[in-house]
Order: sequence, then structure tokens, then C-alpha cells
Amino acid sequence: MNNKLYIAFIYAMVLMTSLNSCKKDPDNNNNNNNNSATFGSVKVEFEHLWAMSGAEFKLNDTLLHPMKNEKMFFTTFKYYVSNIKFKKSDGTWWSQPESYFLVDVSNPTSLILTVNNVPTATYTEMKYTLGVDSLRNVSGAQTGALSTTNNMFWSWNSGYIMIKAEGKSPNSSTGDFALHLGGFKGANNVVTEKSTNFGGATLNVNPSATPQIHMSANPAKLWHTIEGVTTKSKIMMPGADAKQAATDFYNSFNFEHLHP
Amino acid sequence: MYRYVSMKGIVLLFLSLVIFSCNKDETTIPSDNTFKFETPSYIPKPIYEFTNNPLTQNGFELGKLLFYDPILSSDSSISCASCHFQSHAFADQNLAFSKGVNNLIGKRNSPALFNLSWNSSFMWDGGINHIETMPLAPITNHLEMNENMMHVIEKLNRNKTYREKFKTTFKIDSINDQKLFYALAQFIGNLQSFSSKYDKVRQVKTLYSSEENNGYMLFKKHCQQCHTEPLFSNFEFANNGIDSIYADKGRYLITLDPNDEGKFKIPSLRNIALTFPYMHDGRFSTLEKVIEHYSENILQVPNLDTRLRKKIQLNAKEKQELQAFLNTLTDFEFIQNKIYNKP
Ligand code: HEC
Ligand code: HEC
Repeated sequence: MNNKLYIAFIYAMVLMTSLNSCKKDPDNNNNNNNNSATFGSVKVEFEHLWAMSGAEFKLNDTLLHPMKNEKMFFTTFKYYVSNIKFKKSDGTWWSQPESYFLVDVSNPTSLILTVNNVPTATYTEMKYTLGVDSLRNVSGAQTGALSTTNNMFWSWNSGYIMIKAEGKSPNSSTGDFALHLGGFKGANNVVTEKSTNFGGATLNVNPSATPQIHMSANPAKLWHTIEGVTTKSKIMMPGADAKQAATDFYNSFNFEHLHP
Repeated sequence: MYRYVSMKGIVLLFLSLVIFSCNKDETTIPSDNTFKFETPSYIPKPIYEFTNNPLTQNGFELGKLLFYDPILSSDSSISCASCHFQSHAFADQNLAFSKGVNNLIGKRNSPALFNLSWNSSFMWDGGINHIETMPLAPITNHLEMNENMMHVIEKLNRNKTYREKFKTTFKIDSINDQKLFYALAQFIGNLQSFSSKYDKVRQVKTLYSSEENNGYMLFKKHCQQCHTEPLFSNFEFANNGIDSIYADKGRYLITLDPNDEGKFKIPSLRNIALTFPYMHDGRFSTLEKVIEHYSENILQVPNLDTRLRKKIQLNAKEKQELQAFLNTLTDFEFIQNKIYNKP
């Protein structure tokens, strides 16, 4: 392209964006010029249950891993959920923009994800991603749940730590354990999209109701296949073990019920 | 983008921002419109183009301030510039390994920093995939700046000067890590070095001596496939036969692929005369020793790059010629350029 043309083009672009920035922020990015459209919120709650007992999973408490027969005292348990989407009864999908959540068991408010600005409609299915999509792993500096201040980004081997489980165990030779699980490339990609049809129920979103979707997961499943902390107390990078542990944990996610 | 836009474009850009910005606070015009980074025509498009992080004079100056400020380290003793000196093309001062906080010694040689916007990966093993997240490694490495991100951000937010500068640059009231990385990228992403004798010859402003010219021919024959012109690297990973047992497994540490053991990112050879000692661990103190390695001492290990399997074998005169050519890659304007000086 000719230089002058290019400059003119850039100038036009800048002009457009500056003018555009004068408009008031629309309530919703997915609002297709429909002024009468209304919106509601949906809450997605994650509950963590330890092993088959179904007892509540707690930090700073000694838990017994039934399969490995190992004692585990968790000090940290966090993981990413991203890219929440809802399917309308007409078959079309609504996707939440900038949809990134860090579920951190030490922070009770983080266990309930609030999805705002969902268009009023009846929804029959939810899709969500466990982990952070590959694009955000290669796109440089991020904010919010994806900020490096959460200590969930590997400094030396770029990419998100998608699940972090740390704690102490008398069965580990070092007295502690740490699983930093992630990986977004090739065979080691742990990022997993899941879905639920709410057990056949429907999700009715409107401005006056905030339905709550109740999900459960079982952290003991991290060690469903991989060796216990006696033999392997640390996994700190993407690889076959990280992939296996993450997959087993992600498989434990279950839809429980729906509060209208 | 700045490559095409040049002076005129930037002036227009700022003008339009001033005219059309809605917020009164946003009218900060860069104080100095001489700010521009022109790149010679034979240089390809960079990988990092400041797309999400629009380049401004303020952003560049802020990045520079941060680069030279030990506030980024846990005990305020070490700045980026403690290991990356302009006089050495932003490599360390001829040390094999650099010192971080508490005088701890690092594990690899500090590379020179220039033309980073053309790099597809960072670090000797290429573990880092983006220039913006690059500073996370030195800031948090306990052998380097030994800080944690939350604490760095707290410190910056307590500092009035930084609060004001971040506000003028990024229109934010509270500093966050993204904007810290953006500012640093605006500085390190603009350390441009394209004024060596090599560049002047390409621009037909001067000519090589016959010794340099013979060296260039040898370079094209033996080195060019990896240290590819005009950036003097193809940014791939290769094993150049310096070891048979790997104290540092290099690329393998990232990929866990045994074929990557002993592979390292191919470094640019621009400014090479300034950045001794050489290789990831600084094992060779001079260019003579490096050339001798390629000529006589390459180890025929299984992972040795196929491009180095055939013996190179240079005589004494050729070695000198090759070195004379490598010396034409030094960019004295770059290491003296005032816009990169400590503020
Ligand atoms: C204690 C010394 C030290 C400090 C302080 C330091 N670095 Fe470095 N830097 C190094 C070393 C050593 C490497 C190579 C590390 C490796 O490959 O594992 C490096 C690599 C880099 C690279 C990668 C270059 C390439 O070509 O791949 C960049 C960019 C960089 N540093 C920028 C910075 C910035 C920005 C800061 C400040 C936030 C900083 N460094 C602070 C020593 C240091
Ligand atoms: C197969 C690719 C390849 C070829 C061909 C090659 N090199 Fe290298 N070169 C490398 C790699 C990889 C490194 C880094 C190795 C390390 O640090 O362990 C390197 C490092 C260097 C360094 C040190 C750079 C620094 O910053 O420390 C110099 C100097 C150098 N090469 C010069 C040459 C010359 C001169 C030739 C031609 C005779 C040549 N190379 C041919 C791959 C190659």
C-alpha cells in the first residue's frame, strides 16, 4: 500500500475510534440495537466434595485420600473456569464476553461466578471451559482473573497454571505436595470444554430473577490415575502427568441442580 | 505500525486524539514529537506491533524509568539495567553470570537486548512467548529481582510519581500489572539497533574493506542458515555442538522432547563484539574462541544440527576475515543513543 494512503487510512481509523469512544457504554456487548431488550444475571456455584464420601472439601484440614491411602492437608486450591455460553431454546448461543473466573477455595465469594447482562430468554444448555483458552496463553499481559498477581502464570514457561493444588502430607518425602497443572499445546493441552443441559430443566433469565446453577467437583480425582504424593509430590509443568491429573479432575465436574 | 506511520502519522494520530477525545484528562500531548522509530526498508515486519498497547512518547519514557529503577526488586537493589547495560548493547558488563539480589549468581549469561519486537520467543530456551510477559521472569526469579507481582504493584501504587505517570500514560487511577508490562514493552520493544556498518553498507553509505568483504562471503557460506540476515537470527533452536553432556538442557526444559536437549535459541550476532563472553553460559571469552569452535571443535553429538555436521575448517586468514565481518555488526549509535540513557 502506498504510504500516504496508509496514513490516511490510519487517520480514518483513529478518527472513528475516537468518535466511537464518545458514545455511552452500551449495557451489553451482545445487544443488537434492540432497545427494548432486557437482561438478567445467572450465578454458577461450584461446590467441592472430597472423594466418594461426598464430605465438603476444606483447606487447612487433614483429609484422607481413599484410593492412595495418603493424608493430605491442602493450603491452596484454585482453578480457572472460562468462556461461559448459554444456548437459547431457539438453538442460538449467547457467549459472555471476557469470561474468565478464578475459583479459589480460600475465597468463598469466588466460588459463585456471576454472569451479568445475559439477554432475557429461556436457555437449555450451558457450555463452560475448564482452564484458559490457548489464545489467552499467548496474548501477553492480561487483567482481572488473568492478572499475574494471582500467581497463576508461569514466568519461565509462558502459560496459565490452570489448576493449583498445594499442601502438606506426611506421606511425601519432602512433607509437602504441589500440583501446578496447565498446558495449552498439542498432546499436553489440558483445556477442556464441558457442557450441561441442566438435567433437562430450563434456565429462565429475566431482569427480576437470578437463577443459580449448582455444580460440584471432586479434588480427590486429581490423583485418580497419577501416582500419589508418596511417589510424586510435585508436578510443576505441562506434560503427560499434568494432562492426566487435570483430565481426571475435570471429569469430576457435575451438574447438581438449578434454583430458578 | 510505527514503521509505516512515521513522523507524520504519529503527529496526525496525536492530533486526532486531542481533537476527538471526550475526556478532558486525555489531552496530554507527547512533549516531544521527534519520537519515532524508523526501520530500514530491508527489515521485515516485526512480530510485536503494539496492537493492544498503543505506543506513545509517555509510555516509552515510563518504560525507561521502570527499566532503570530498582523499585522492581525486593530490596530495591537491582534494576533491569543492573544486568542489561546500554554500553554493552544491553547485555551484562562482560560477565558470564549476573548478580541479582543478595549477590546471588544467575544460571545463564545475560543476553543483549535489541530488536526484541522481532523475536518469536524469549530466553535461551525460548520458554517465554510474549514480550509483554517477559519481565515477569526477572522480577519474580529469586536469583534476580526476587519480588512478587502483588508487592511490586503495591509499591508502585504507593509512589506518587508513578501514580501520576501511569495516569497520564494509560488513563488509570490505580496501577496494575498489565500496564506495568505495557510500559516496559514500550521501552524494550523499541531498543532498535539498525545502524551498524553492515546497515550502512546495505544502504550504500559506505563500503566493506576487502577483508570484511571476504568475511561476509565466509559468513554467508557457514553461518547465515542460522544467524540469518538482516536480523542475524532465524529465531529457531539449534544444538551447535559445544557439549556432549548437558549441564543445561536448554530447549528440552520447555518441551521435554529428548531431541531438544542441548538446543538453544539462535542468538542474533548484531553487536556481537560488545557482548562477550559467549554462549548461554558465557563459556567463550572471545570471538576467536567462538570461531575456533565452529572451525575445529564441534562435537558430533546426536542432537547436533545437520547444518553443522560438515566440517567448516577455516585457515588463519579466513578466521580473521570472518571476525572482521562480525565486527561490522557493532552499532555504536545504538549504544550511545541518548533516548535509551538512564533518565
Ligand atoms: C540479575 C540479572 C538480570 C536482571 C535484574 C534482569 N535480567 Fe533480563 N536476563 C537476564 C538473564 C540471565 C537472561 C537470560 C535468562 C535465560 O535465558 O534463562 C535475561 C533475559 C532477558 C530477556 C530475553 C532476551 C532474549 O533475547 O531472549 C529480556 C527481554 C530481558 N531479560 C529483559 C529484562 C527486563 C525488562 C528486566 C527488568 C524487569 C530484566 N531483564 C532484569 C538477567 C537479568
Ligand atoms: C545450526 C545453526 C548455527 C550455525 C550454522 C551457526 N551458529 Fe552460531 N549459534 C547457534 C546457536 C544455537 C548458538 C547459541 C548456543 C548456546 O548458547 O549454547 C550460537 C551462538 C553463537 C555465538 C554466541 C552468541 C552469543 O550471544 O553468545 C556466536 C558469536 C556465533 N554463534 C557465531 C557463529 C558463526 C561465526 C557461525 C558460522 C561460522 C555460526 N555461529 C554458525 C547456532 C548456529
